[in-house]
This record gives sequence, C-alpha cells and structure tokens, in this order.
Amino acid sequence: MADYIIVTNNPQVLETFHKDKEVLFREVDFKEILTVVRDLVYQGKELLTHPLSGSVKPLETHYKSVLISKADKGPTDFRSVQLIESALNACTKFAYKNDNDKQTLEDMQAVDLALISGAIASADA
Amino acid sequence: MKLEMGHIFIKDIVFAEESKISDGTLYVSTKELEKIVMEDEKIKSVSFDIAKPGESVRITPVKDVIEPRVKVEGNGGVFPGIISKVGTVGSGKTYALKGMSVITAGKIVGFQEGIIDMVGEGAKYTPFSQLINLVMVCEPIDDIKQHQYEKAVRMAGLKVATAIGELAKTLTPDETRVYETSTIKEGMTKYPELPRVAYVQMLQSQGLLHDTYVYGVDAKQTLPTILNPTEIMDGAIISGNCVSACDKNTTYHHLNNPVVHDLFEEHGKTINFVCQIITNENVYLADKERSSDWTAKLCEMLDLDGVIISQEGFGNPDTDLIMNCKKIEAKGVKTVIITDEYAGRDGKSQSLADADAAADAVVTGGNANQVIILPKLDKVIGTLDYVTKIAGASEETLCEDGSLEVELQVITGATNETGFNKLSAR
Amino acid sequence: MAKLKVVHYINQFFAQIGGEEKADFPAELRVGEAVGPGLAFNANFKDEAEIIATIVCGDSYFNENLEKAKADVLAMVKEQNPDVFIAGPAFNAGRYGVACGTIAAAVQEELGIPSLTGMYVENPGADMFKDKVYMVSTKNSAVGMRDAVSKMAPLAIKLGKKEEIGASAEEGYMPNGIRKNFFEDERGAKRAVKMLLNKLAGKPYTTEYPMPDFDRVAPVPAIKDLSKATVALVTSGGIVPKGNPDHIESSSASHYGEYDITGVMDLTADTYETAHGGYDPVYANEDADRVLPVDVLRELEKEGKIGKLHNKFYTTVGNGTAVASAKAFAEEIAKKLIADGVDAVILTST
Repeated sequence: MADYIIVTNNPQVLETFHKDKEVLFREVDFKEILTVVRDLVYQGKELLTHPLSGSVKPLETHYKSVLISKADKGPTDFRSVQLIESALNACTKFAYKNDNDKQTLEDMQAVDLALISGAIASADA
Repeated sequence: MKLEMGHIFIKDIVFAEESKISDGTLYVSTKELEKIVMEDEKIKSVSFDIAKPGESVRITPVKDVIEPRVKVEGNGGVFPGIISKVGTVGSGKTYALKGMSVITAGKIVGFQEGIIDMVGEGAKYTPFSQLINLVMVCEPIDDIKQHQYEKAVRMAGLKVATAIGELAKTLTPDETRVYETSTIKEGMTKYPELPRVAYVQMLQSQGLLHDTYVYGVDAKQTLPTILNPTEIMDGAIISGNCVSACDKNTTYHHLNNPVVHDLFEEHGKTINFVCQIITNENVYLADKERSSDWTAKLCEMLDLDGVIISQEGFGNPDTDLIMNCKKIEAKGVKTVIITDEYAGRDGKSQSLADADAAADAVVTGGNANQVIILPKLDKVIGTLDYVTKIAGASEETLCEDGSLEVELQVITGATNETGFNKLSAR
Repeated sequence: MAKLKVVHYINQFFAQIGGEEKADFPAELRVGEAVGPGLAFNANFKDEAEIIATIVCGDSYFNENLEKAKADVLAMVKEQNPDVFIAGPAFNAGRYGVACGTIAAAVQEELGIPSLTGMYVENPGADMFKDKVYMVSTKNSAVGMRDAVSKMAPLAIKLGKKEEIGASAEEGYMPNGIRKNFFEDERGAKRAVKMLLNKLAGKPYTTEYPMPDFDRVAPVPAIKDLSKATVALVTSGGIVPKGNPDHIESSSASHYGEYDITGVMDLTADTYETAHGGYDPVYANEDADRVLPVDVLRELEKEGKIGKLHNKFYTTVGNGTAVASAKAFAEEIAKKLIADGVDAVILTST
C-alpha cells in the first residue's frame, strides 16, 4: 500500500483511485480543499506535491488534488507549511469563476486528474 | 555543429487549387491539407482560414502556433521523433518560412486556450498579430477523451506545418544565417578567455495540456540533459501545452527561442555559448529536488560561469525556478532568470509564488493580471463561445458594446518567459 | 490651455530663512511667490504650469506640532486650490523628508489633489511614504537639485493633467509596490543577455523585479513540557508603567524598557499605560492586560499550565521604529532572557 494520501475535491480522482489508494475526498471548493491540506500539514503531514500545480490559476479551476504523506513526519514540516500557506495566499489574487457548465467542470476534472496521475506515477516509482 | 538557416519571406497567403510557394506568396490548397488532417479519425472536421496583420480579426481559442520549416541538408528531419524519424538534428541546412505561421484552433478544454487579435489593443501584446496566419480550426469527434484529442490536434498542426514547409525545399532563401557550436574541448581551446555561458530552459511538464516533448519524449519523464542550441531550430522541442495563453511557449517560440538567438549573437565575442540545458517542472516535490540538483550539477560539471534561466508557467514552476537559481548560484555560477508576474489586477500582490535573495537578476515579461479592453472586431476565426471561460476572463468579460474586458493572461504569448517580447514591468 | 496651478512646500533651509536654528519656523503661506527650488521648477515647467504659492515650514515645527501644522498647511493648500502639490525635494534630510511625505500624502488623501515629492532613497521618509504618494528618487544632497527637478517637473505636469502614470522605471519615481507594465526598447531575452554580461563582468545591473525580503526565521523546536517552562512576555505594543518613567517615544522608539512584575497579578489603569502613538490608547490605558496579558498568564501559572511567568517584561513601541533598531533591541533582550533561564516568549504586537 502506498505511503501517501490523495486529498482531493475531484470526483474523477476519487473514482479512479479509491480502489487501490487512500483518498480523502471532500466535496468542497478550491480554497476549502487547500485549507484541509493546510490543517493536515500543521498536524504533521508532509506535502508531496506542489499545491499550485497546473497553470490554471487558483479559483479559475474548481478542482485540486494534492498528495500528502500518510505518516506524520514528526514536528510540523516548515517547507510544507510555506508551500501551502503561499498557495492559500495566491488564492487572494484570483477571483472565483462561477458560471461553469457541466462540460467545463468535466474538463477541469480531467486536467486535475492528469496532473495528479503524473505525480502518483512518480510517487509509486 | 553547424546549421545554416535559410529564411524565406512569405508576404502573402492565398487559397488555391494547388499548394506551392512562388515569389514570396504561399498558395494553399485546403483540399490537400484537409486530407492530411483527416487522416486522423479522431478529428471530425477542419476548416482553414487566413488572418493578416491589421485585419479586424480575432482568433480564438488558440492552441498552438507553428512556423513551417524544412530540412534541406543534414541529418534528420524537422520535428524529430514526432513527424520525422528520430535522428539528431541541428546541423546542415534548414529553411524557415518567415512572416507566417500555422495556428491550430478549436476547443480542447475551453479554459486553457488563448486569443490572438490581429488589430487593436490586443494586437500590441502578441507577436502573432504581426504574422500572416494560416488558421486551422479543428473539431473533435464526439465521445473522445481530452488527452486523445489534444494529441490529435497537436499532430495535425505539426503535419500541416511540415507539409507547407516541404514546399520550400527547392527554393532559394532570401537571407541566410549560420549558427556554429563547438564541442566542450573545441570551445575551450577556441575561446579560452571568454566566460562560459549556457541557457537553462525549464520545460512545462505537469500533465495533460501541460506537457512538452523533446524528440517526441514527454519532458515529464526526462532527467535534465544538454542539447546543442541549434537542435531547437529543427523542432527538437515542441509544445503539447496550453497553459495560460500568455506564458505558454508555443512551438513557434521553441523554434525561434530568443535566448538561444541572442546568446548566439554574443558567441565568440563576449561569451562562449557552451550549450542548452533542459529541465522540467514536475508536480511531485521530490522530482523537483532531483531535477534542480541535477541541473546545478550539470552547470558545475560543464565549468560554466553564467546561465540564463527561463521558465514556463506560474505557481508550481516558480518553485522550480527559484530552486534552480539558488542551487546554481550556490555552485558559483551566476544567474539571470526570466519570468512573468501575477501581481493581481491592482499590481500590488506578490508577483511570484516563491522567492529568494539569490535571484537578484530578474527580467520580467510583465504582469499577466493587467486588465485590458479588447475592442469588438469584425470577424472571429474559431468561436467566442469559450471566451468567458479562458483563464484571465470571467462572466464580466463580455461588455455591452461587444468589447471584451480581460486580463493579459488570455492573449497568446503576451508575457512570454523566454523573453520573446518587449513587455516589462516595474 | 491654461497653466497648471502648483503649490510648493519647502522648509526653512531651502527658503533661505536659516538652518537648524530656524527649524521652529511656523507654517507660512506666500501667495504668488516661487521660492528657492520653486524657481527651478518654474523654469522647467515653461508654459505648462506655474507655482502660484509657496508654503514654508520649519522641520521642527512640523514634526513636533504634527496635528496643528498639518491642519494649517492643508487649509492653506485648500484655499489656493492648485492642480498639483509638490513637496521638497528633501534629499537626505530626515525630518524634512518625513514632513514632505506626510504633507504630500495628506493633501492627496484629504483634499484629493494629486501630489508628488522627492527624496533620497535612504531618507526615512522614503520607506514611510513611497507607497502612499509618488516619490521621485533624488541624489543624497542639494547638489542633485537640477537632476531632481528635471524628473519631478514632468511628472508633476502629468499628474496635474490627470494623465496615466507609467511604470516607475519610465517616470522616475521610486517603485511603490504597484507593478505596472510598459514596453521596453529591447526584448526580454536581449535584456537578460545584457544583464548577465554585466553580472559576469562585475559591473552594476538593475533587476527588473526585486525579490521581496522575507527575512525568514527558522522556528526552534516546540516546548516539550509547558508546565515546567518559564514564559516571558515581550511586547511592541508600548505597555509601560504609568507615567512612562523611561520616556519611550510614541513612535520611532530609540530604546526599550525592562520592568519588574514580581507580585504583579494584574495590570490596572492606575499602574500601567501605553506609550504607543499608533493606535487609539483608550482601551490599553483602561486595562493594559489587553496588550500585555499578565493576568491571564498569572492564572495559567496558578493552574500549573505553565511553570512560571518570568518576573520581568520587555517593552518598546513598534510604531515607525526602524527595522534595524528592532533587531538590535531583540538581540539584547534575547541575551538577557537566556541568561535568566527563560524557555519561551510570548510576543504581543498591535
């Protein structure tokens, strides 16, 4: 079993990975899911992927998946804190786009799935 | 390696029965090109159009921009590993059709692509408003996955550009430029006094629509490595991505990489342009550490004195950029980095997602969040349906008078991070 | 087109009234006159603008009677109703720079009149006001007057005409934290190559994007057992014994205080107050625990949650205090805390 958890709000990621991996799925918005990651980081988890992956800017896409360590890495990992807080900070620069139709949401899910799949491939290697 | 680049100036593009180039005019048979594109059953249909500088034309959504080239002499063919067979390129003779491009357009994912305006405020921000563009608007078949369709459109654009390039094979260039690089030992012997400089190019490699291909290999899978700077002139690196339109490197940018050209200008005079180092921008943090360590190691092993580092994208890549900069500087190699900025619409936010005091020499392509108004234009090649979805636009984009209120983000090539444009910020 | 009307603010020195000994000169309005550097401005303005009045004010008078001086000058400016207001240039004169920045920002904010000033980049007024009002970067002494006026005058005219102001590098003002796009003469790659050549040759170069200064401090390991720890209170909120016996300044503090709180369980309005000039003092004066939570820590001590509250607290005023001073205080305070066996510090600020 892998030593990471996939934290995500993307239903396609849940569907693709829930059978073989540990997926922490929350049906919340972009900022909320990053906040979930942040709280876990403060509790001792280490970030394994960059929270700002993908050049669709924060809030311009609704979906984000992040890999964090399954085990607590002891005292809070400062680098992970920096990354996740920076990412949350970057959210203030961009505005939510709310008029997304089903197809666009589906496209966003597909891109996020692709981004995290690449990372999972590296993590599994 | 020695590469002779022949430039053929295209002054007009016209649709005709038969494709050929004559007296600087490109005659294009849409029937012939359609046949090539439709070889791929994943494409439902394609339509061709021509957009000229100064015309009241808007092209959207734009995926890639490609300059037609053809190998006349020497090893390999253009776009090795993708169109041509794998074979080391960058030497011999290659011709390029200057003053024009092939643009692939049509939705792949609505929010990623860009806009090119041929006139007006928006035209100032994209280099492609200055070219005569042959646009191919593609439509996918129903029920196809985004990544399959992206590949189909990517290939179709390259095939069309190659077919058009072939038309120039027997012509005589209007001007010729020669680029010559030396081996490590040759260079040291020839230019013992000149500082050794390399170009570190970071390639977008995060996943679907965020990929770049080197001799056909997904950059995500590569370890940092070195290239002869002339290889890119034959299309060794091509774009598979449409990250924010403003800072994606189109294939055109790769073929005409300005850092490579401007370093060549100084080669043998003020510097010894040793090589090009390519590295990636993966999402997995351990990959980032590995790639930046490796890049710094290469800089050290090559005994470099200085490098120019360019990146592609925002956020995640900013971390790689700063890692590369820090680690390379720590090896005693001086750096200049080229980036763009996301300082918010008011220009007050922190421009990069990461920072370090070691990055003390920065060139910027401008603030991508700057808001501009694109006037209503007479003709749209493609469709305006996705215009509110593009990164940098919003529901408020469509104004009552038909103009578009958008961020520079939406314009293809606007804040390019290889230093292609004159746009900057302070 | 009518000439733009400009009101110019200068100090006693540039008005040729006198030097330091005349710094208490109260604000004086001279209608219809251009004085000192004002003459250079008028020459530079040519037909486009003219100084319709000059306000002269001593630097000591301004800084020591801030509210009154500001009000007086604002009234004078309002009466003259100019299109643009110019203060200085102040070069490296600290109090003059602060006065120029203060008054230019006030005119802009309270009267809605576009303002501009100029000073040397290390003038304390620069960091304080460059993001509030356009500030041209000048040399560090009046030797740079001609250079300063040549940059300030065209910018003043643009402001007066309400034209769009370009990027800092284009217009000559200090980068004010707002990034503005503009087109350079050369493409980015070329600029990068030139920058690298300069860097390699050890020649000066200017980055197009200065990295933000994060001044990161790596956190030390957390306390394992708080119930055994000695915790000290340190504040930049200016809490001092009533009467401020050591006269800690209400802004730009030049020192910090060390006070014994042995046996003190609670701070009251009779025994403690705030010296800080940067926030409304009413609530801190009523109960200084609000800024320095002695009462809460005494409770925690009693409950055994912390080992003990250190018998001394350290205080200074953060308002306008130079970063360098703050660092220096902290180094000294830290040494004392370590010598006294303190394990942890709670830092309060406002």
